[in-house]
Amino acid sequence: MAQTEKYVLNMGPQHPSTHGVLQVQVELDGENIVGAKPVMGYLHRGIEKLMESRTYVQCVPFTDRLDYVSAMNNNLGFCMAVEKLAGIEVPERAEFIRVICAELNRIASHHVFIGSLTNDLGSATGMIYAFRDREKILDLFNIICGARMTAHYIRIGGVAADAQDEFLRDTQKFIDYVPEMLDEYNKLFSGNEIFQARMKKTSIITKEMALKFGMSGPNIRASGVDYDIRKIDKYGAYGKFDFDVPLGKRGDNWDRYMIRMKEIAESAKIIQQALDNMPEGPYMAKVPKVLRPPKGDAYHRVENTRGELGFYIVSDGSTKPYRVHIRRPSFVNLQALDTMCKGMLLADAVTAFATIDPLMGEVDC
Amino acid sequence: MGTYFELEKLELLKAQFDTAEYDTEQAEPALYIGKEQLLELMRVLRETPTYSFDRMGMLTAVDYKEYIEMVYSLYSRRYDKWVTVKVKLDRDNPEVESMTQIWEGTNFEERETYDLMGVKFLHHPDLRRILMPDNYEAHPLRKDFVPLEPRIEGGVLTWHKQRSMS
Repeated sequence: MAQTEKYVLNMGPQHPSTHGVLQVQVELDGENIVGAKPVMGYLHRGIEKLMESRTYVQCVPFTDRLDYVSAMNNNLGFCMAVEKLAGIEVPERAEFIRVICAELNRIASHHVFIGSLTNDLGSATGMIYAFRDREKILDLFNIICGARMTAHYIRIGGVAADAQDEFLRDTQKFIDYVPEMLDEYNKLFSGNEIFQARMKKTSIITKEMALKFGMSGPNIRASGVDYDIRKIDKYGAYGKFDFDVPLGKRGDNWDRYMIRMKEIAESAKIIQQALDNMPEGPYMAKVPKVLRPPKGDAYHRVENTRGELGFYIVSDGSTKPYRVHIRRPSFVNLQALDTMCKGMLLADAVTAFATIDPLMGEVDC
Repeated sequence: MGTYFELEKLELLKAQFDTAEYDTEQAEPALYIGKEQLLELMRVLRETPTYSFDRMGMLTAVDYKEYIEMVYSLYSRRYDKWVTVKVKLDRDNPEVESMTQIWEGTNFEERETYDLMGVKFLHHPDLRRILMPDNYEAHPLRKDFVPLEPRIEGGVLTWHKQRSMS
């Protein structure tokens, strides 16, 4: 028997499979992982501090840069927290447009997940397919607000511009295409034997562990915990739509992948209902030119693509927030990385990084 | 976010803990507690079946210049209730019991609060900086923060107080 010795391998911050600038110090015994410590801060821009010196309206574009593949959901979280603080009522049409945009962005974000996961597993083709379809959504955003990724479309009190007929028509076209798209993905990856062998029964997070680490989003639902803020809080217009929350059983990589595939279908269902029942009316509430929320604090959470995104805002009665704290889901989710990687092979660590789906813009804030 | 914790139950907690306080005027009052009793209160909130706050939703600190305030937002999945707990800390020497003793998942958030606000968490398993460089000596989210000046000394990036603010 060969003598082995433990050693530390640095993966990242410059590594093709670590999704941005995540560094993981992997402790190895031969090829087996003994521990994995995430090291963060390479993308730390101090957004919380920057927000303190800007007015509420000026803060919104910063939220685009948090989780930059799902910018609409971040806009939504911040705007709803400010609206809660300032007591602004949002018109119904704006709420519907917000839901459509947030769900479209959720699908686009899951495309990035599927694309990078398959790429990490050695199938670069998968990435091309997922990004081809993501492009369709980015084009829709281009129609509605002129930006593709950092949208800054959802504003305090409503949305920046009304949804044009062109946008609604093209969104309908995309929704009609979703079943065909999922079919193609299932044929391409889900049925693949190697893909399944790499994903099933690897990096298991049990229900208890997921709750212990305070995880949220698709990662906790893959472990079988029914926890979806859209269903629980029914914020915005989400209470008006009928959709299911897909749950996993084992909490392995495969479940985390399948949950996201199913979530795409559910998001499409929500968008279809929103398009069918789109109310008429204004798209923006009457918001004072100089916004001075009353003294106090507010915490609001939304279901971001990666989990529970919360904004805690303290107002001192002036035009600028006194303090903003952002509860970022992928930051908290990363705590599970060590447990996920322990006992696995080094090659499986790459899968674990991909399915926990951290986004460094959000982790480092 | 569901509904807020019932006022009657807050009243019960106030009777149980002598440092507990809340503003009766507000519709959703935060529960203030002395830092010595925080850990015990949190245990009660989590473990009493009629409360069962099993989720630490958010944890942060706010610098109010005279004092630093810890803010905890708890959520009960069972009853769909939430409550805010606040603790006032001495600004010069902010120290508080770590919540990792009850919710293990608060580890990173406490490290972040330590890093950016300088709150020391007692009995934390691994209290190190998480976002800023390890040799950085200031806490950026404090209100009196002045950015440190980067300098290369002997091939190592070091951080120094600014000499003048001209």
